[in-house]
Amino acid sequence: MSLVFKAEKLGKWYGNVLGLSDVTIEIGPGITGLLGPNGAGKSTFMKLLTGQLRPSIGSITADGQPVWNNTSLFRRVGFCPEQDAFFEDTTGREFLAGLLALSGMGEKEVEERAGRALAFVELLDAQDRLIRGYSRGMRQRLKIAQAIAHEPEVLILDEPLNGLDPLSKRKVIRLIKDYRTEGRTVVVSSHVLPEIEALTRTIVLIHQGKILAQGDIPYIRDLIDAHPHVVAVRLDEPRRLGALLVRDPSVQSVAYGPEEGLVTFETRQRDRFFGLLPKAVAESGLDLREITSPDDNLQAVFDYLVGK
Amino acid sequence: MAGGVFRVLSFTGRLVRRARRTKVFAFLCLLPVILALIVRAKALASPGRGLDGLAIFGNIIVAFGLQFLILILALFFGTSVVSEEVEGKTLTYWTTRPVPKPAVVLGKYAAFVAVLLVLVLASTAVAFLILNLDRLDYGPAWSFLGKSLAALSLGVVCYTAFFTLVGTVLKKSVLFGFFFSFGWENIVQYFPGSTQKFTVMHYLKSLLPGVGETSPNVLQFLMFRLDPSPAWAAVLTLLVLTAVFLALACWLFGRKEYLFDEG
Repeated sequence: MSLVFKAEKLGKWYGNVLGLSDVTIEIGPGITGLLGPNGAGKSTFMKLLTGQLRPSIGSITADGQPVWNNTSLFRRVGFCPEQDAFFEDTTGREFLAGLLALSGMGEKEVEERAGRALAFVELLDAQDRLIRGYSRGMRQRLKIAQAIAHEPEVLILDEPLNGLDPLSKRKVIRLIKDYRTEGRTVVVSSHVLPEIEALTRTIVLIHQGKILAQGDIPYIRDLIDAHPHVVAVRLDEPRRLGALLVRDPSVQSVAYGPEEGLVTFETRQRDRFFGLLPKAVAESGLDLREITSPDDNLQAVFDYLVGK
Repeated sequence: MAGGVFRVLSFTGRLVRRARRTKVFAFLCLLPVILALIVRAKALASPGRGLDGLAIFGNIIVAFGLQFLILILALFFGTSVVSEEVEGKTLTYWTTRPVPKPAVVLGKYAAFVAVLLVLVLASTAVAFLILNLDRLDYGPAWSFLGKSLAALSLGVVCYTAFFTLVGTVLKKSVLFGFFFSFGWENIVQYFPGSTQKFTVMHYLKSLLPGVGETSPNVLQFLMFRLDPSPAWAAVLTLLVLTAVFLALACWLFGRKEYLFDEG
């Protein structure tokens, strides 16, 4: 069973500057995405998770044990830091082997695991080159390799897709998704919404040091009472569908266009509306082409929550 | 803990051997050898004039080895135990491994000291041989070499421990280290009375009381106002200081949070 992290009323101050405030959260197996703009407190939270920072207030534990200065936990946790920093005069393999040896593994095991990690991130061809000659994408993958090389139960990745080209991003996303298997825990942060969307549906929204919301995207969306769901339906007779549904209490408004054949509903009762819509279409014999929920994505949720 | 120290030492040893900085400082350590070669070549070119190789070697040890070389080496390597990792943002790789934090400090310190000792002692021994080729059967010369190597070794051990502590505490540790090395250590050691005992250099020079006998004119000036402590007291003091510096560095490193500059 993978470690379960619990933060209770966790807060971190840097002098007078707030890093994180009143965070209570439990993180277990699966991929959890931390989302928030730069300076929101994501890195602070990750550093608290990995025992690099000490809570100013509250507590953070892993399976009930405090994380700060608990070096025995680090056998079970892999951390990929945000900063692009390496021991530049070593080769990729030396870098990995050296860090693995710090965990107390024998030479043979170090070699095997370093080889496996390099293969996993597709860096075997470049393993004997100095890191200072690596491209940005290779460096990012090497950082991930050092985090997974000792095969930890928990993988914590701070902005792992930062600065990568689309191809490298796709590779890293695939690597992270592959690693989630076998009940492992992955915590990944990003300030770019589509990146998190590509990785997970379980998100924690952080802004100005506070958790604004947590859960899967529809759940978070449901929390936002002040902002109704938008459902766009494309069909041959949009006005007829609008007329059929406008009287239902779940429908707050109906709008047509701007494209031909498009009707947009606003609803505060998502579940009721989605029960009603297919029934109405089927009973009236309308030619339905597409149903989308344009604001059911992280960008919309995030904008609502931060009050944009 | 001991296993952790050894693992850190081993990895740091590999890193430091590869580092460009090590190559630069290895060249600096060659300067006594280069100087000795120049002096020897000059003596060969003027066969009539005698060469007091031991006196010149004494000058090199005191004026260059003790008062400059080991200070510079200890400053740059000692502070890098922690502060270079913070500046380079690589500290994370050490502090997220299953290694106790004191083991990180001690392992890195031990690796740096080992490298510095090899560089300093090898160059000193070679310089000695070059300058004393014609007096290799002179017993006191070997005794002086032994004392010189001991003083340099203890200097490396103690100063590196001090700068490790400084690097653990201060962000601008190198700047402070320069003031300490070439301000405090190189000036206060000449103060009369007990004040000079507040420098590490006083105890190092106390290990070389025979230097003045070899060449009174030059070395009396260099040992100006030195009121040496007994050798055993000097060694004990240096070892105690080293232990205290390292203990403090480990204690602080285990409790301090290190933040990286953004950007």
